[in-house]
Amino acid sequence: MNEIGRLELIRESLVAVVNEMRANVIRSSYSSIIYEGHDFSCGLTTADGRLVAQGDADNPIHIFAVPYSTVELLKVFGSDIHEGDIFLQNDPYTGGTHLNDVLMLYPVFHAGKLAMFAATRCHWGDVGGMTPGSLSGRVTEIYQEGLRIVPTRICERGRMNEAYLTLLFDNMRIRDERRGDFNTMLGASRKAAQHIERLFGRFGGSAFLDAIEELIARSEKVMRERIAEIPDGTYHAETYLDSNGHSPDPLAVRLALTVAGNRLIADFTGSSPQTKGPTNVGPAMALNAVASLVKSYLDPQTPVNHGSFNPIEVINPAGSFLNATLPAPCGGMVECRAVMIAAVCIALGRALPEKLIGDLKGGANHVYISGPRPGRGQDESRIFLLYEYPAGGTGATSRADGNHVVRAYPEGDFNVVQAAEIAEMQCPVRVEHYGIREDSGGDGEWRGGCGMRRDIRVLAEGASLSVLADHAIIPPFGVAGGHSGATNRFVVVRRGEVIQPSPIPGKVGGFKLEVGDIVRLESSGGGGWGDPLRRDPDHVARDVFLGVVSSERARTIYGVVLAGDGSFDAAATHRERERLRASRVAIPVAHAATDDLEGPRRCLQLSPAQAARIGVGDGDLVEVVSARGASALRCWARLAEEKGASGRPEPLALGPIGHATLGTAAGDLVEVRRLGARLS
Amino acid sequence: MSEARFIIGIDVGGTFTDLLAYDEAAQRLYSAKVPSLPGAQWKGVLDALAELQIEFSTIRAFVHGTTIATNALLERKGARAALVTTKGFRDALEIGKGRRLTGGLFDTTWRRPPPLVPRDRRHEIDERVAADGQVLTIAEPAEIERLAATLRAQNVEAVAVAFVNSYRNDDNERAVTQTLQRLLGRVPVTPSAALIPERGEFERTSTAVLNAYLTPVMVAYLDKLSGEMAARGVRAPINIMGSNGGAMTLEKAAERCAGTFLSGPVGGVVGAVDVSRGADERDLVTFDMGGTSTDVALVQNLSPRMSHDNQIDAYPLRMPQLDIHTIGAGGGSIVWVGPDKTLRIGPQSAGAVPGPACYGRGGTEPTISDANLLLGRLSPMRPLAGGLVLDATAAQTAFAGLARALGVDDTVALAQAAIAVAVAKMAGAVREVSVHRGFDPRDFTLVCFGGAGPMHGFLVAEELGMQRVLIPRYPGHLSALGQMMADLRRDFVKAWGGRLSELSIAALKTETDALRNQGAAALAEDGIPPTRHVHEFALDMRYAGQSFTLPIAWSPAEKGFGPLRQAFDARHEETFGYADRTNEAEIVNIRLVSIGEVAKPALAFRSQAQVTPTGERRAVWFASWYETTVYARADLPTGYRFAGPAIVEETGGTTIVPPGWTVQVHDSGALVGRFEGSRRQP
Repeated sequence: MNEIGRLELIRESLVAVVNEMRANVIRSSYSSIIYEGHDFSCGLTTADGRLVAQGDADNPIHIFAVPYSTVELLKVFGSDIHEGDIFLQNDPYTGGTHLNDVLMLYPVFHAGKLAMFAATRCHWGDVGGMTPGSLSGRVTEIYQEGLRIVPTRICERGRMNEAYLTLLFDNMRIRDERRGDFNTMLGASRKAAQHIERLFGRFGGSAFLDAIEELIARSEKVMRERIAEIPDGTYHAETYLDSNGHSPDPLAVRLALTVAGNRLIADFTGSSPQTKGPTNVGPAMALNAVASLVKSYLDPQTPVNHGSFNPIEVINPAGSFLNATLPAPCGGMVECRAVMIAAVCIALGRALPEKLIGDLKGGANHVYISGPRPGRGQDESRIFLLYEYPAGGTGATSRADGNHVVRAYPEGDFNVVQAAEIAEMQCPVRVEHYGIREDSGGDGEWRGGCGMRRDIRVLAEGASLSVLADHAIIPPFGVAGGHSGATNRFVVVRRGEVIQPSPIPGKVGGFKLEVGDIVRLESSGGGGWGDPLRRDPDHVARDVFLGVVSSERARTIYGVVLAGDGSFDAAATHRERERLRASRVAIPVAHAATDDLEGPRRCLQLSPAQAARIGVGDGDLVEVVSARGASALRCWARLAEEKGASGRPEPLALGPIGHATLGTAAGDLVEVRRLGARLS
Repeated sequence: MSEARFIIGIDVGGTFTDLLAYDEAAQRLYSAKVPSLPGAQWKGVLDALAELQIEFSTIRAFVHGTTIATNALLERKGARAALVTTKGFRDALEIGKGRRLTGGLFDTTWRRPPPLVPRDRRHEIDERVAADGQVLTIAEPAEIERLAATLRAQNVEAVAVAFVNSYRNDDNERAVTQTLQRLLGRVPVTPSAALIPERGEFERTSTAVLNAYLTPVMVAYLDKLSGEMAARGVRAPINIMGSNGGAMTLEKAAERCAGTFLSGPVGGVVGAVDVSRGADERDLVTFDMGGTSTDVALVQNLSPRMSHDNQIDAYPLRMPQLDIHTIGAGGGSIVWVGPDKTLRIGPQSAGAVPGPACYGRGGTEPTISDANLLLGRLSPMRPLAGGLVLDATAAQTAFAGLARALGVDDTVALAQAAIAVAVAKMAGAVREVSVHRGFDPRDFTLVCFGGAGPMHGFLVAEELGMQRVLIPRYPGHLSALGQMMADLRRDFVKAWGGRLSELSIAALKTETDALRNQGAAALAEDGIPPTRHVHEFALDMRYAGQSFTLPIAWSPAEKGFGPLRQAFDARHEETFGYADRTNEAEIVNIRLVSIGEVAKPALAFRSQAQVTPTGERRAVWFASWYETTVYARADLPTGYRFAGPAIVEETGGTTIVPPGWTVQVHDSGALVGRFEGSRRQP
C-alpha cells in the first residue's frame, strides 16, 4: 500500500477508535444527560498533549480544550506518569471547560513509554454546588458551582484512589449515577487503549507515531495555505453577552483579528473584565472558539487535529471574562465561547464575505428542572433532574435559509432534549408541546432557522428551575443586512399567567415551581442573511403556508402581500416593498477621533428627532447597518440635546473601530434599526 | 397436472434480476439472469421465470428479495403521506431531538434533509397517555372525523399514527387508527406501536412514517406481482425477504414494508452463511459486489450481527435488521475525473442498460468492468451469462477518452488505478462493519459473491490484511440462493422485566410461554406446521440505572438467574470495558425470534471433475503482465490446489486470484483462498 493510503488508513483508524469510545459511553452510561443528551466527547492526544483526533459527533468545545488540560497535567506530573495511572480534571483555570465537564485522561503506553492519552470529557449531571445540576445563572463564585478537580492522579499504577473518589461522589447529588459516569468513562478509556495498542502492533510503534506527526503536519499545511489566501490586514468585531446574571450590564468581546501571511492572530484585549457571575471562561476557551470558527470557514473537510491550531495565535490577557482567574465562576463557558465564535465569524466575514453566516442562539441554553422524586422519602439521592439544552435555529448564508432547531456547525451532534417518553418516565413532568417556534427566524433574503418552543408541565411538589442561557436580551445578529433572530425566552406559565422566573432574562437560579406550572422554553432563531425585501416572494409564501412565518410578518417585514389561495399578489407586493424601503431611516456617518464606549457598551448619539423616527429612547439597543458591513454594529442609544433645527439629518459620529467594523467612511449612509422589538 | 416441485429464489438487484430454481424431484438447480427493469421489477421476475421455461404450476415455494422500498425512498418516490400525532408534537418528526444525524460539524452550509411528511400534512389530535400507560385523554370522535375530512381534502395516500407513550399503552393509537382506517377506506394507516413497540417517540414516529410513505408503493408492486403470478397459475405463496434475515408473507410485507429495506442484500448474507457453514468457516465478512452497489456485513459464529437502532438516509428506523453496510460502487460504476483532476468511481452506474462500454449496447463511459477487461481479467472470448460477448475495443475507446481528460496516455495503468480506487472504497466499507464495530477484519474470512465480488474480493482482502477468502459455488446467484434458503422469521419484543433480585423464574416463564404462543400462532397463520417452529429468546439487560441494553440469549429451561447474570457481566465487560458486578442487573425486554423452517434444497455442489485441469493461459495484468492460467470452475476437482495468479471462470462470475494466494477446492465446492505471500503491512 502506498504511503498516502496508509496515512488515510491510520487517520481513519484513529477516528474509528474515538467513534467507538463515543458509542461505548452512550450505550453503557447511567445518566440520561449522557445516553439521551449525548453531552460528552472523546478524543486522543499525543504524549505531549497535542490533539490527534476527535469523533464525528463529538463536541469541539469539549475536545479543543483537551490539549490545554493535558499540558497542565504534564506540568504537574512530568515524567511521573506510569502504566496503570489515570487522571481526572475539571478545573477551568487549568484547561477545563466548566466544572460539570469532568475529563478523564487515560495514558496509553507503547514499549514502556508514554505514547498517547485517551481523553473522555463527560458532563456529569451534578458536581455539587449551590443548585441541583450545579449550573446556575445566579452564582457569584466558583465554589457554588461544585467541586474543583485540578489535574489529579485518581489511579496510581492500577490502584484506584477510593478515598478521593468517595469524597467526590459523596459531595455530588445522585451519587450512584456519578459513580456510573465514572465507570462508563473508565470502560470506554480501557477499550480505547486496547484498540490503540492493537494499532501500534499493526502499524509498528514508530511508524504509527510518525504517521500521526505527518497527519498533524498535513493539517497544518492545509490551514496555513487557506490563511495565506486571505488578504492581510486587521479585522475588527464586537459581540456581547447579555449580562453576568446579576447586573444589567452586558459583557463585551472586542476582537482584532490579524491575518499576517499564513498566520492568524486573534487579540481579545479590551474585552470586559471577569465578573462575579457565571459568564467567565478559563484560559483554554479562546483558542477553542477561534479554532472552531476558523476551521468551519477555512477547512471544514480535513479531519481535526492539532495541525489546524498551530497557525493560530491568541492574545487574551488574564483577568478578562475570557481568561478568568479564581474565584470567578465559569458555568457559562458555552455562552462565552459562543460570543467569541460570533466575533470571529464577523471579523473573518469582513475578509471572506461569501462565508458569512447568521448568528446562533448564543450558548448552551442550560435548563434544569429538578426536585424530590415523589414517593421516595427524603433520601437526597432520590431527586430527579431533567437537564435539556434547547437548540435554536441556525444562521442563514448567502445561498440558503438556516435550519430550524438543530445543533449548529461549531457544536457536536448532541440530542438537545430528551425523548418525552424518557423524561416522563424518569421525572414527574409531562411534555405538552414540542415544536417549531413560529416567526423566530432572523428575517432576510435568506431567513434564519426558527427556534423551538417546548412546554414542560411539572407534576410534583418542591421542584425548581435553573437556567443558564444568553441572548435572552441581545438577539442573535443577522449578517449582510439580515435581521436578528428572536431572543431566547424562558418563562413559567402558572394558572395561565406568564411569569418571569428571574429579574435578568436567561439567568435563573432555583426558581420555585408549583404543581401544574408549565416551564416554557423558547429558543432563538438564527440570524438572517441580506435584506428581507429581496427575499423571493415564493419562499415567503411557502413559509406562511407551512406556518413558520405569519402572514402579518410576511407583510410588515418582507413586504409580501398574500392572496387568498396561498400565492402572493405581485403588484401589491411590489408596492408594499417600495413603501417599506422608503420608510427606512438612512443617516450619514461622520468620523470621530475615538470610539464612544461606556464600559462594555458602544454608544451612539442620536438626536431626539432621529430617536423618535427610529422609535428608541435613551439606553435602548440599536444596530447600525451598512451595505458594506459584515454584520450590524450594535450600540446603545444616547439621546443628545436638540441642536439648531437645520433640517438636515444630523450625521452619526463613529470612531475608527466602528468605521472599520462597518466598512464605512465619513459621509456614507447607514440604516439604524431598533433592536428589542422582538423581546416580547 | 404436474407436481409442484420447484423452489424459487429471486433477487432483484439494481442491475440484474437473478433467479435460482431448484427441482426437488430431479435434485437439479437452474439459474437465470436477466436485466432488471427500473419501475417494473415484477416484469424481470416473470422474464427470468420465462427464460427457464418453468411451468408456473410446478412452483412449490417462492421467496423474493426486492429493492422496491429502498429505491422508492432514495428517489423520494414514496406516497403523499400524512402524520397524526399527539397534540403538541407535530414537529417532532422534523426536528427530532435536535441532532443533525447526517454529519455537518464545521459545515456552515449543512442543510437538514426535508422530512418525508411536510409540516402542512402533520396533524395533531387531542389525546394523551401518561408514561405509566394511564389514558389521560381520549380523542373525540368528532375530531377524528374532522381530521379524516382534512386528510381526504389533502389527497393523502397513506397515514402514520404515532402517539406519545403508545409503546406503553396503544389503546388510543389503535382506536384512532381504526377509525381513520374506516373513514379513509383504502388509504393505508400505520400505527407506530404495532409496528415497533419501543420507547422513544421520535424514532418510533420516524419508523411509522417511513412505513406509511412506502406502503402504497409496496402494495402496488406486490399486487401487480401476485396478480401476474396468479394469472399464470402460480399457486405457491409468494414470500418476501425481510431485513431481519427471514422471509415474510406477502401480506406482512405490505403491512411492514419498513422491514424490507435490506430485502435484497440479506439474501446474500443468508446464502453466505449457508455456504460457509458447509465450508467450515464461522467468522465472515460478506462481500456482495454487484453492478451498482456493494453490500458488506459481519457474521460472527455464523450469526449475522443484528442492528435495532438504524438510520436509512437521514431517517431513524427501529425495525430490526441485519447490520449491512452499502456503498454505491460496483462493477458497472462509472469511472470519471473530478474537478480536482482526481479519479472518481461512481456512484453513477451504467446499470444493465446501456451497461458498461464493453457490453457494446451503447454505453460509452468507462466502468470498472471495462477496466477489468483491459487488464485481461475479463475475457473478450468468453460470453457472459445471456451470451453477451465483451467488446475490448469499446472498453479501450472509453478509457482512451478518460486518459485524454487526465492528460495521460497509458490506459492500462489508468485501468489499474481505477480498480485500486474502487478496491480502497470497498475496503472502507469492510472497515465500517468491522473496525468501526470493534472487530479486526483479519480475524474474519471474506466471502465474495455477486457479479463482481470474486473479481475484486482477493484485492480487498489484501488491502485489509485478511488472510482467507471464500468464493462460493455460483457466486453470481448467491443472493437468490439465500432467498431460496430463507426460513420465515418473525421478531417479537415484550417490554417486561425489573431487577433480577425482584423477579421470579416462574413469572419469566409465564411471559416467555405467552410470547412463544404468539410466535407459534403467527407462524401457523403463515402456514408453518408446529414441528417446524424454532423459538429463540434473548433478554435485553442492563445494570440498574443504565438506559441501553445488551441482548443475552435465554433458554426458558433455565432454573435460575445465576448463569444469566454471569453471561451479562462478561458480555458487558467485553463490550464496554468494565462490569459492575456489585450493582443490580435488570431485564428490560424479552425478545423472541420465531423461525418457521421451510423445506430447503439439500444442495451438494461436490465437484464431478476427476482429472487434473490443464487450464488455458492468457496475459493478465497484476502490476505487470503475467501469463496466467485460466480454469473453468466445473473442471476443478475437489481438493485441487493452485496458486495465483490464476483466473477461474464460470457462469455468473470470474474469480481473480492475484499472486501470493493459493486456492483449494473445498469438499463443499467452495474455493478457499489463503494468502501465503510475504507478510504485508495491511
